[in-house]
This record gives sequence, structure tokens and C-alpha cells, in this order.
Amino acid sequence: MDLVTVNGLSKRYGGIVALSEATFSASAGEVHALLGENGAGKSTFIQILSGAVQHDGGSILVEGQDYRTANPDAAQARGIAAVFQELSLIPDLTVEQNIWFRHEPKTLLRTVNRAEMRRKTLALLDKYNFPTLRPDQELRRLTLAERQIVEIAKGLAKDPRILILDEATSALPAREAEWLLKLTRQLAAEGRLVIFISHRMAEVRAIADRLTIFRNGSTIAVHEANAVSDNEIVTQMIGRHLDRLYPERIATATDRIALSVKEFSSGSRLSGVDFALREGEVLGVGGLQGHGQRELFQSLFGATKASGTIELWGKPVSINNPRQALTGRDGIALVPEDRRGQGLLLTKSVRENLTLSVIGRFTEHGLLSRRKEADLVKEMVDFLRIKAGTPEQLAGTLSGGNQQKVIFGKMLLTQARVLLLYDPTRGVDVGTKGEIFQLMRELAAKGYAILFHSSDMPELVHVADRVLVMRNGRVAATLEGDRISEADILRAAMLESEAA
Amino acid sequence: MAMSVAERSVETKMQPPGIDWRGRVLDRAPFLVACLMLALIVAIYGSLQSGVFTLDEINLDTAAAMTLMLAATGQTIVLVRGGIDLSIGGMISLGTVIAATRFTDDPSTTALWMVIILALGFLIGAFNGLLISLLKLQPFLVTLATWSILNGIAMIILPTDGGSIPGWWVGFASAQLFGLTSPVWMLLALLMFWWWFRATGVGLTIQATGSNEKSAFLSGVSITRVNLVTYGLSGLFAAGAALFLVTQTGAGSPTIGKDYILPSVAAAVIGGVSLFGGRGHLAGTLIGAFVLTLIGNLVFVLHVSSYWQPVASGVILLLSVLASSVAEKAARNRVQ
Repeated sequence: MDLVTVNGLSKRYGGIVALSEATFSASAGEVHALLGENGAGKSTFIQILSGAVQHDGGSILVEGQDYRTANPDAAQARGIAAVFQELSLIPDLTVEQNIWFRHEPKTLLRTVNRAEMRRKTLALLDKYNFPTLRPDQELRRLTLAERQIVEIAKGLAKDPRILILDEATSALPAREAEWLLKLTRQLAAEGRLVIFISHRMAEVRAIADRLTIFRNGSTIAVHEANAVSDNEIVTQMIGRHLDRLYPERIATATDRIALSVKEFSSGSRLSGVDFALREGEVLGVGGLQGHGQRELFQSLFGATKASGTIELWGKPVSINNPRQALTGRDGIALVPEDRRGQGLLLTKSVRENLTLSVIGRFTEHGLLSRRKEADLVKEMVDFLRIKAGTPEQLAGTLSGGNQQKVIFGKMLLTQARVLLLYDPTRGVDVGTKGEIFQLMRELAAKGYAILFHSSDMPELVHVADRVLVMRNGRVAATLEGDRISEADILRAAMLESEAA
Repeated sequence: MAMSVAERSVETKMQPPGIDWRGRVLDRAPFLVACLMLALIVAIYGSLQSGVFTLDEINLDTAAAMTLMLAATGQTIVLVRGGIDLSIGGMISLGTVIAATRFTDDPSTTALWMVIILALGFLIGAFNGLLISLLKLQPFLVTLATWSILNGIAMIILPTDGGSIPGWWVGFASAQLFGLTSPVWMLLALLMFWWWFRATGVGLTIQATGSNEKSAFLSGVSITRVNLVTYGLSGLFAAGAALFLVTQTGAGSPTIGKDYILPSVAAAVIGGVSLFGGRGHLAGTLIGAFVLTLIGNLVFVLHVSSYWQPVASGVILLLSVLASSVAEKAARNRVQ
């Protein structure tokens, strides 16, 4: 019998239909992948299943019993735990306090039994072979990847029958992602159901037994994982034939140097980076995670202090803060890593997000011109194909891919022509990924210079004109033409590390 | 692709086990700065005045600081939750006027009214919490409004300072056990309470909600219940502060409460409690309350105008805010 059966599930947010008549069924002991573009209704579906929101119509049966949750507690009581993409962790609590939050072992005085909590933490981490974590460390001291791992531990601590992993691998370095995939199989072997959401097709292929495809809030198809091709899946996800994910790479780089960086250093993570980015070029930045890529982008944008020389369009500049970076047509704009935290104001409208930082451009005689603003917003929304009801829709209610497009729009409106894109496709669906790559090529053709980091190596290989491989805070190699391949990037990234 | 990388992956960024001493010191920097300030003030005070390092002085100063300490304990809980409670000013005033008009020489009647005042404190606080949750209003606005309402009611009950407090209750503040007066024992009780509170699910949940409300909700916390308990406790402690305050003044006052609103926040901030929620310890708040009280003593023995007291308090507040922000920055840089 199926562990979960969902029929006719519907959910509306105001005028927007998030789910309409969705169906789903999965049984114990399987890894069931949930696929769909951003905005297809996956997030709403798992939010309903995990008790974070309530559905409007339809039925959910868990172990044959009707299931309608009022809150995440009730979901946990029914054996459902979710590992959220938008993490449910508390910054000021320690790792172990987070893992056992609200389920702490207690003493007679009703206080937390710390010795017992530590013992249980270590037992849990050991049982599932977790990467090293310090149980007493406060969460806010942890990196994004480490937090993701804690979130997974927190989900497992409840010993759930159904575990939902929402984009859990997207924040993890390769080795940890690999561990998570193994863990997922282990959990299924223990007789649990794992509902697995990922935008990385290779992962889905590697571990899923079955997969369900969502599109526009409805269930489109259910497949046995080994009986369907990648192409079929992608076609069903986006509802049209996707010719190719990666646009044709037409070299548009000129000889003009847009950004020249010499002896660029920052703290212990960035030591003496040299490179030149040309007009019309997409320059990839690769290497293993944590070798200075983040610091390079942050420092170029003036968000982190750095030493060395920067020349923009042939002129030496000093960039000490983002305001200086964004100055005028000769500036630098950044698409940041954490779009929810750094890039977007979730409680502001699409219009406000687009124009807030460039409000000066819409003034006439010192007064704000709403018409001018509306025109430019419309132009940007059309150009980027942002799917929003109206420009007044709150950014927080958009799907991940559309939020990312708003950030692109915000960046383009600054008129800067050197663009720093830090992992712009993270957590973005396949269809939007394709659009973003297309957009990058179009911008390059228009003379923009683009520095592009991705944690997904094939993206660098297929989109960038050249790739800088970083190792230990410097550029270990610059790959061009035929030499841009995953194998070459890896070789350059790991040669020294392996010897060490 | 991703898979093949993994086989040969290098050292991950996970840190080796062991105690992160520097991190721990940085985390506690605001608290340590408050301790230093207190030590400095005591040292100056002690060099100007004889008999500072005696049990008598400790008894006296603790009694002088206890009303603020009680009020600030409630405020600390609210601040850790990420809110603020201005209504404690109204609650303290209301508590003193009820006490001054209802307390009699009969201990059982008085005890009954004490229970009523404490219960009222909790209920009014819980009502604040309910309004904040259900109407999704700012704590600042809700508690500003209830402060005004409570203040008005206090005025209606007792328009001017007056009434009377039975002598046996006034004597409570100087009652001694093992050479320590009741305020010192109360201080220890507050610390015990905090230790217990922080180690229970309730305290942890309040702290977690202050740290990140969304995450707490996703972990199954009922935000409404958290607000009820948080502001209820704050009201309860404000009522307790009123009961103690009347032992010092011997009368009721419909306006006295406002003198504790901002100092209760200041004491907490000086002690390292974050205004953004999630972080702080009562020990810090109590030290902050001592700092603010002893500043008054210092101004007195320096024979300068008493108007210098708020000036000095303000400077100290600024210094502690500065200390926390420097420490916070250093801590953040370590994560990067």
C-alpha cells in the first residue's frame, strides 16, 4: 500500500493558483523525486505536506489515514519531517540545540539534559556517517553548507517515516553532496520514504526509484526512473521542447579590457589574483568550493576589504564599498550568492526591488516621475520575462527563478557594464537556467563584461569563453577553447591539493 | 560529473573539533565589557568613599537596584524574544497604587492583594502578547498604548502620590538571613530562575523565536503562545517590581513607573542583551542594573549636580553599544 496518496490537491494565494488538482503517490522504501520548474508548485506541495501551510482542497492520505495538518508539529507527529531549502535553523542556538530543538531530552527539573543530548547527537551523526560537525558551535558561525548538513541532521533526529529533501544538495560541496545521496539510499533501505527535490538531473538519475513531474501546479507525469530519458523529463517539465540548455557560444569578446585585476588579495582566502576580463566576454571562475571564489566576488564589489589594483575600462579605480562599485556606466554590479538575504527585499514589490537602488534615474526637476519609472520597469519585466501578476506583486511571493530574474533586472538597471554573477542559477529550474544563460550571451554580445561563478561545473564548461581555475586563493590556471572541460578544471583545481 | 569529483575531493571546510576559545570570548565580549565597567565604577567609588567593600554596602546597593533588576528581568525576556515592553512603566505605577490603597495591616488580606497584583501583571502582559500576535502589530506600539492605559487607570485609582504601605511589608526589604538582606537573596533567586528558565524548553523556545521567528515557526513553535508567555512574564516581573518598590517608597505613585522603562532596556543593553533578539543573559542585565545604580552613588559622592547622572548613564550606554558592535564585527569576520 502507498504510504502517501494525494488527490486533487489545490492551493491558492490570493489570485495566484499555486496548486490545482495535483496528485501524488509514493510508498515506503523508495526515493521519489519531485521535478518541475520553479513555480510549478513543488514548494507549495511540500509546504503543505510538512504542515507549514494548509491546502484549500483535495485529500491527502498518510498510511491510509486522512491527513490535514495545522502546523509543522502535527506533521512531525505523523512522521513527516522536511529539510527545507529555506532553512528552519536558529542562528543563536548551537548545532545540537538546533538538531533537537523542541525535542530535547529532559531532566527531572524539566531542564535540558545536556549530557544525554550530546550523546544522542554523536550517535545520530555517527549512525549516518555525517561530515564532521562541532555540536557546541553556534549556528551563525557555520557556513551555508554546514548549516544545510545540520538541517539534514535535524530532520533525521525526528526519526521520520517520510523525509522531504528540498534542494538539499544545492548548497553542498561535491563530497558532501555525494554523502547525502548515499544517505538517501540508506534511508530508503531502512524502509523510509524520501521525497527528493533537486534541479540536478544527474543526482535524480543516480538515486530516484520513481519521479513525479509537476507543471503549473498540476501533476504531469509519473515515471519509473529507469524507464524515461532526460529529454522526455525536461520536455515534460517545461511543456515545450527545450532545444538545448546552453546557448551557442559565439565569441563576442573584443580586445578592450573591461576589468583588469592585479595582485588582488584579501585576508587569508585571496592571495595575489591577476586576470583581465574583456568587453563582450563571459569569464568563468571555477575550482573547488572555498578556494577564494566567494571572496573574489565580494572584494571586487567592495563588500569585503582587499588590496591590489583594479582598473575599469582602462582607468584605475578604488572600490571600498558597493556604492563606489555601482557608480555610473563604468561600474560593477553583483548578483549575490544569497538572493533572499542579500539581493532581494522580499516584502517589497517587484517594481520597488527593481528601482530602489537607481531611484535617481526617474526624477524630473527633482520630483519622482512615476511614468518614467513604470516604463522602465515594464521594459525590464518584458525583457527578462519575469512572471509576476503585476509589477506590484511582492518579490517574496515569486518563484525562485523569477526572484533571480528580478535581481538581474535590478543589476541591469544600475547601468554597470561589468557584471559579477555568483552562482546565478543556484536553486533555479532548468527552464529559467536556459533563459539565464541565453541572457548572459545576449548581454555579452551587447558589450557587457561578465565574470561568472557556478558551483555546477558543466555550466562553466558550456557557457564561459574562458575559465579561471582558483586554488588556494589564486588563479591556478586559465583555460581556453578546447581546454575547457570538466577534467581540465578538476586537474587544475586539485593538482596541488592532492600533493599536499 | 558531481559524482566523479567527490571521489577525489580534497579537505572539506569543516573545522576540527576542539573548543573555539576566541569565538567564545568574542561572543561574551559585551558581557565582559559590562563587568569591566562595573569593576571600574566600584573601584572609583571605593577610592572616594570608605566602607564600600562591606556587606552593608552590598545590602544597600542591591536594595537600591532591586526594583530596576526585577523590571529589567522581564524586559530581558522580551528583548531576547526580539520585542520590547514599554507597558511595564504603567504596570509598575498601577501595582504601587493598588498596593498603597489596598494593603492593610492584616497580612492575609495583603497577601491576597499581592497575588492579585502579580496575576494582573501576568494577564495584562499576556494581553499585550495576544494583541501583538493576533493583530500583527509592532510590540513598541502595542505596549506604548497599554502603558498609557495602565497609567491612566493608576491615576484614576490614586491621583497623587500617597496611600500607605503596612510597616511589616516595608520591613521585608531589610529582613536578614545569614547577614544578607532579602534583596540579595532575591538577586540570587533571579539568577537561579534564569539558569532554570534558559535550560527549559520555554526559555529555549523564546530565545529561538527571537533569533529567527520564521525558522522557529517551521520547527513547530506556536508564535502566539511564545508571545503570550514572553509578555506575560514581563508583566509578572513588572508587578513584582511594583511590590518591591513600595517597600522603598512606603507609598503608591501613579507616575513612578515611567522611571523604569528606559533604564530597564538600558540595563539589558549594557549587559550585552541584543535588541535584535536571540542573544543575552540575565547576569549581564543585573550587572547593567548595578552599573546604572552605582553611577548615582558616584555622582553623589563626587558632589556634583545630580543632573550628571543621566549624562553618565547615556555615555555608558553608548560605550556598551559600541563594544557589542565591535565584537559582533570581529565575530562575523571570523565566519567569513
